[in-house]
Amino acid sequence: MTKLQAKNIVKRFDHNGNPVVALDGINLDVQEGDFLCIVGPSGCGKSTFLNIVAGLETPDSGEILLNGKSIYTPGPDRTMVFQEGALFPWLKVIDNVEFGLKMAGIPEEERRQISERYLDMMQLTKFADSYTYQLSTGMKQRVAIARALAMDPEILLMDEPFAALDSQTRDLLLVELQLIWERTKKTIIFVTHNISESVILGNRVVIFKNRPSKIKKEITIDYRRPRLMEDENLQKYYHQIVEELKSEVIARIKDENQ
Amino acid sequence: MSKKTTNRKSFKGNLEDAANAALFLAAFIGIWQLVCILGIWPKVSLPSPEMVAESFGKIILNLSLPDSIAVTLGRLVAAFSISITIGILVGLTMIRFKGFGKTMNSFAAGLLSFPSIAWVPFSILLIGFNEFGIMFVVIMSSVFSIMISTYSSIRNIPPIYLDAARNMGAKGVSLFRHVTIPAATPSLIVGVRQAWSFAWHAIIGAEILMSIVGLGHILSVGREFLDMSQVIASMITIFAIGLLVDRLLLHKIEDKIRRKWGLDQHR
Repeated sequence: MTKLQAKNIVKRFDHNGNPVVALDGINLDVQEGDFLCIVGPSGCGKSTFLNIVAGLETPDSGEILLNGKSIYTPGPDRTMVFQEGALFPWLKVIDNVEFGLKMAGIPEEERRQISERYLDMMQLTKFADSYTYQLSTGMKQRVAIARALAMDPEILLMDEPFAALDSQTRDLLLVELQLIWERTKKTIIFVTHNISESVILGNRVVIFKNRPSKIKKEITIDYRRPRLMEDENLQKYYHQIVEELKSEVIARIKDENQ
Repeated sequence: MSKKTTNRKSFKGNLEDAANAALFLAAFIGIWQLVCILGIWPKVSLPSPEMVAESFGKIILNLSLPDSIAVTLGRLVAAFSISITIGILVGLTMIRFKGFGKTMNSFAAGLLSFPSIAWVPFSILLIGFNEFGIMFVVIMSSVFSIMISTYSSIRNIPPIYLDAARNMGAKGVSLFRHVTIPAATPSLIVGVRQAWSFAWHAIIGAEILMSIVGLGHILSVGREFLDMSQVIASMITIFAIGLLVDRLLLHKIEDKIRRKWGLDQHR
């Protein structure tokens, strides 16, 4: 079943008075239960696309359909895990996880139950009463994932959530996230510039072209899970994506040097 | 790190601070005494520490000091509360209406550096030699600082907090209450502290010129009667109150908030 549909999404920016086309007609169907990764050169507009899906930015034309209905505003049915720094420092870990539930008007007792369940899933129970500055970057991102999942969203959006992590922590979270996906059957859109991440996580990997961005290619990765970084069978997918992206990265560098 | 060790450490730190302060005070009084003994100035111009202490005793016993403190603090608290209320309300309006915010921001910045004493003639002619005249000067001296800091604290909230909150369904009043206010608080409290010091400057100045009671008034009475001991005693009182309010109240609040927000982790 089609969960989310992006129809001909166009987004322009004003860059020092010059119009820049960031997204030039993105068409994408996301099926229920998909783990869809978007890769592309930096600045290609993949995060912009995710923000449009989240309703945090509006496209200049085109529309996003969720379960067949068009959406224009942010909503708890599409929760986002940001790159970093999006937890609220004035709230305890558990209150961060409950924030969205509180906004939805869910009674305290029920909120507590839900948040405890997700804190447990992310192995954070011991830190429920900590403030965010007391956590490592990896723990913060686990809180952010718990916070997003606690809303029980239709789609989980992830915007380079592991980009700021050290590689050991990231490897660990890459496995954890696959287990969570299998357990919760969530539909996930995961934006990254890291090709290995996309190969390990995605059952679909969508490659964005350099600006003005379109979808260049999509590959399907049907391979058992949990996939590990060192698995050699994943190399062929990795090289396939590298090959696709090579010309885009070169184009990107040319753009920047102009 | 357990809570206990931090507490013990800070207790020891406090003791050390107190010892340093006592030493500093002793040295100050010692030098003062020494200058008096050397007789560089006549005793009328520079009384000794004992004479000032005696003067303290006198104005405490005849109740003019306690009364003055009560009157001054009463006026200050009333005027400052009005200042905070107006300052925050206007600050929020500045956020709501962008054009107004921009204009008001430059306007208020000009008034921020306007000397508080320069409001006195205006206030005397507009309102008169009364409580409200004094309060007017205090309000005008502190309200712009609160206005500007409300405006800039909210504008400087990292957009990612608002994005994250909206993403989780917060909007309107609940977004304001649960995100805007707490996110702006650490920076707002700095503005309030600054406004408090402006208000404190303003009230003493206004009382010297406009009042028949209050701390500023006993200061000016001391001058009129050439009673330097009373002048110094009043000055010490003004200094001590300013210090106590800042350290024991405002600084504590700021410190507490900063610690909770994790802003003091990398010192």
